[in-house]
Amino acid sequence: MAPAIHPCELVEVLRRHHLTPAIIFLTSRRACDDALEAFTHEPPALSQERGETIRTFLETFSKDFPSIENHPLIPVVQAYGVAAHHAGHLPSWKIAIEELMRHGYLDAVFATTTLAAGVDFPARTVVVTQSSIRKSQDFTDLTISEIQQLAGRGGRRGKDLVGFVVITPSPYIDLHVLAKGLTGFPEPINSQFVVSYPMVLNLLKAHSLDQIEGLLAKSFAQFQLNQRAEIHQDNLDTIHSQLKPYGPRECADWITQWKVFDLARRRKSHRRPPMETDTPFVKACLPFLTPGRVVGVSKGRALILRQYRSRGTFTPMISVLKSKGTIGECHASSVTDVYDHIIEFQPLRGFPWVSPPTLTQLTQAITQLPARLPTVPILTQAPQTEETLLNDVLTDEFACPTCPSHPACKKDYAMASRLRIKSQQLEKTIQALKDGLWHQFQHKADILHKFGYLTSTYQLTQDGEWARLIRIDHSLLITELIRMDAFSGGAPELLAGVMASICHDDDRPGSYVRLSTGLSSMLSQVRTVADSLGAYESPPLLRADVAGLAEQWIGQPQSGWTALVRSTSMAEGDVYRLLARTLEFLSQLHGLRHTHPGLADSAHQAMEIMRREVLQELP
Amino acid sequence: MSHEQLKLELEHLPVRLLHALAKGRVQRHFRLGKRRLIEFFLSLPEDQINTIQLELQRILNVEQTRKELRHNLQAQRKTLKSLSLPTTSQFTRYPSDGKTSVSLTLEDVLEGIGIPEPTDFVPDSWQIEAVEHLAHSDVIVSAPTGSGKTYVAIEAIKQAMIANQTVIYTSPLKALSNTKFMEFSQIFGSQQVGILTGDRRDNAHAPLLIMTTEILRNLFYDAASGEIDLRLHTLGLVILDESQYLADPERGVVWEETIILCPGQARLLLLSASIGNPQELSQWLASIRPLPCHLIRHTKRSVPLRGLYLQANGPLVPLFQTQSITQGKGFTFHPDAKRLLSEYESKYLGRR
Repeated sequence: MAPAIHPCELVEVLRRHHLTPAIIFLTSRRACDDALEAFTHEPPALSQERGETIRTFLETFSKDFPSIENHPLIPVVQAYGVAAHHAGHLPSWKIAIEELMRHGYLDAVFATTTLAAGVDFPARTVVVTQSSIRKSQDFTDLTISEIQQLAGRGGRRGKDLVGFVVITPSPYIDLHVLAKGLTGFPEPINSQFVVSYPMVLNLLKAHSLDQIEGLLAKSFAQFQLNQRAEIHQDNLDTIHSQLKPYGPRECADWITQWKVFDLARRRKSHRRPPMETDTPFVKACLPFLTPGRVVGVSKGRALILRQYRSRGTFTPMISVLKSKGTIGECHASSVTDVYDHIIEFQPLRGFPWVSPPTLTQLTQAITQLPARLPTVPILTQAPQTEETLLNDVLTDEFACPTCPSHPACKKDYAMASRLRIKSQQLEKTIQALKDGLWHQFQHKADILHKFGYLTSTYQLTQDGEWARLIRIDHSLLITELIRMDAFSGGAPELLAGVMASICHDDDRPGSYVRLSTGLSSMLSQVRTVADSLGAYESPPLLRADVAGLAEQWIGQPQSGWTALVRSTSMAEGDVYRLLARTLEFLSQLHGLRHTHPGLADSAHQAMEIMRREVLQELP
Repeated sequence: MSHEQLKLELEHLPVRLLHALAKGRVQRHFRLGKRRLIEFFLSLPEDQINTIQLELQRILNVEQTRKELRHNLQAQRKTLKSLSLPTTSQFTRYPSDGKTSVSLTLEDVLEGIGIPEPTDFVPDSWQIEAVEHLAHSDVIVSAPTGSGKTYVAIEAIKQAMIANQTVIYTSPLKALSNTKFMEFSQIFGSQQVGILTGDRRDNAHAPLLIMTTEILRNLFYDAASGEIDLRLHTLGLVILDESQYLADPERGVVWEETIILCPGQARLLLLSASIGNPQELSQWLASIRPLPCHLIRHTKRSVPLRGLYLQANGPLVPLFQTQSITQGKGFTFHPDAKRLLSEYESKYLGRR
């Protein structure tokens, strides 16, 4: 592991060159905390009075936010003038650090790159230690916009004449990515429009289908799609102009006509025997080349013993008895004359094809044949040309073979059909680009119809009327659970536990927190439902430990925040965010008070108990 | 110089310099031998031969000075063996050019560091332009982080409040909403500012409401279906901060919905970090909104930014050859930074 620069050394160098205050972006929360920890081994760096200023500031601040009163990091901040700022901290603590930074009381803040957007305070210097960032599972390079977002924190307007970005190498750095990010122009942004279930329900509640189609057409997504469609349209226009010379001929749609004709022609030609190598003469001879026939070959006469086809090339062959008494094999094509003379004999299956006594008789018979023999007249037919074949086969079905533009069609067909296929593809693409969003909407609406939130004419059903008020992630799962009465009669803490496990989408591990049996059986039911809905909505993580946390916070109202945080290994900030999000989900359930008073009531109770201590500090 | 003389001169030249001469004149000259090269030079037309003669003269001069330098150096070495002398490779190759580039030093980069004289805040021209245009059109502001977009928002809010209109300010994160709530409460007074979150509404009847974009989208949903306490008819201004979130893969759709559903009489003010295609965004807005859309694109940072490079146990050195970082001009690393990084990489990462 290559060493990154030691945080104390880094801050020391920055101080020496008057580059403080600085924001130091590190790879992980862990790295930020470790950096802060490293300072505690050094002698205090701040003068007494500066420490005092920070202390008094924090004291006044904690009047509004009591949760930071005894924050364990306060001594470090006071002694060294450095702090960490990441999502693992409570929002109130983060606000305190931001305020300290705005007043210029701190020298350095260690922050994570992931939350660069949430870091809303400037400094003189920004330190970058990495060029890639963890997104979901793997590391990807920072984009130019992201790098400029980081660098943008350097240099405070009205407080600095110049800002600085300091790059320090670590194993996670590629200097070129950073340099490009600092000097390049940011990437263009693209629409990420997706149709969600609540969107479908809410739009259908207030608008007619035509209006919705108009609304979707107004989206930035459609705007960008139209731009792409325009490029395709330009291509299509050029193709249309190229297609002009291939306009209507004898028949209006000659390309299709020729295509069908061409196919039919090919199919006909396939019916012919695959190998047609025999010449017309051989073909005409073959019926006469039977055993016993006397034929003329290149050297005298011969008697045919058998006719066969060779195994390999399938050419017609004959076995002959020559006048010298030898047996030979030759091609049927080597026959020069076919005589009108047959010597009868009894053929055998194996060599020499006749019995030996017959063989001598036959040899004699050949030699005793008269000098002149009548020949069989062989009538050879002229080979049928392709054209005539077509005329034979296809004239009754197609006009093409006799059409005057036949040669022109034959010549142009390849080019014309290629162009036409291209133009059809483009037309399809353009149509898809123009209708894509509307189809997406219809698809979602059909699913909602299948579940019974919409009628077949896309009107909201009774269930749809209240389901549209659930406008959060995993809305389909939640509405289905409500329809199944999964929460009926459930205590507030069970409801909150389930909601917490549905809303929490962070996969940072947390230690297991004990659940009540009621909650765990409920969670397993929810998991079954979520899996069955998997085809329509990606299921939530449904972590049991976060459900346990929420249950504990509600089930034991007398226990405090510190006790809750101590019972898990999750960071304080994560627990806060979990509970805040659970509150948000519960308030959506509370919105159903007209249709589901029992559920809304228990959600309300849960919210009332949840809002205490830290969770009450910020709106 | 006659042909014969030139030929003689060329024959005396080492083949390395002949190749230097042939560069750009002969294709694939590196495959030719000395004789063929000379033949080629002599076969050139008259005017080109003249330029070759001139260049030859220059090369000979350079060689001459080089020889002298080397000679001097050797002499110096002999006399001053105790002193360490620069090696020949550090001499500029063509001293006759007089092109010696002195690298940027750390002092150059750190120059001018400090706190400016406190002056009265004077808004930039683009900020004034933005506020003015908001009177009769939607406005998109695309400017780098920290260049004063909030000023535009505040001035716009003041204007709208004077006109007795409701203003909605949205941000992508709850944390940012809270910060803005506190900031605006200080500016406008806590009675004037309300905040709406998923589960809480504080001072929901104030003329300035702060919320996340999701909440505003939900309000527009409710308004469309007619069950609403939002004062849509008095809504005069909607400010969407960090509108580059439009491209967020999960939440971007909410920004689009908000913009589409935003009532026509309300002005839209989109504040965005620097993005690549603000014109596209403004064309889109102009095409769907009843009002024209004015784009303000400010790419210059209000405080110049400079690059530095630092590694463990190493000195602080400039990152680039230029003093400050400018967009779209490309970059050259400072030789010191390059050297330090390659040392670091070969030492720890086994890269070359």
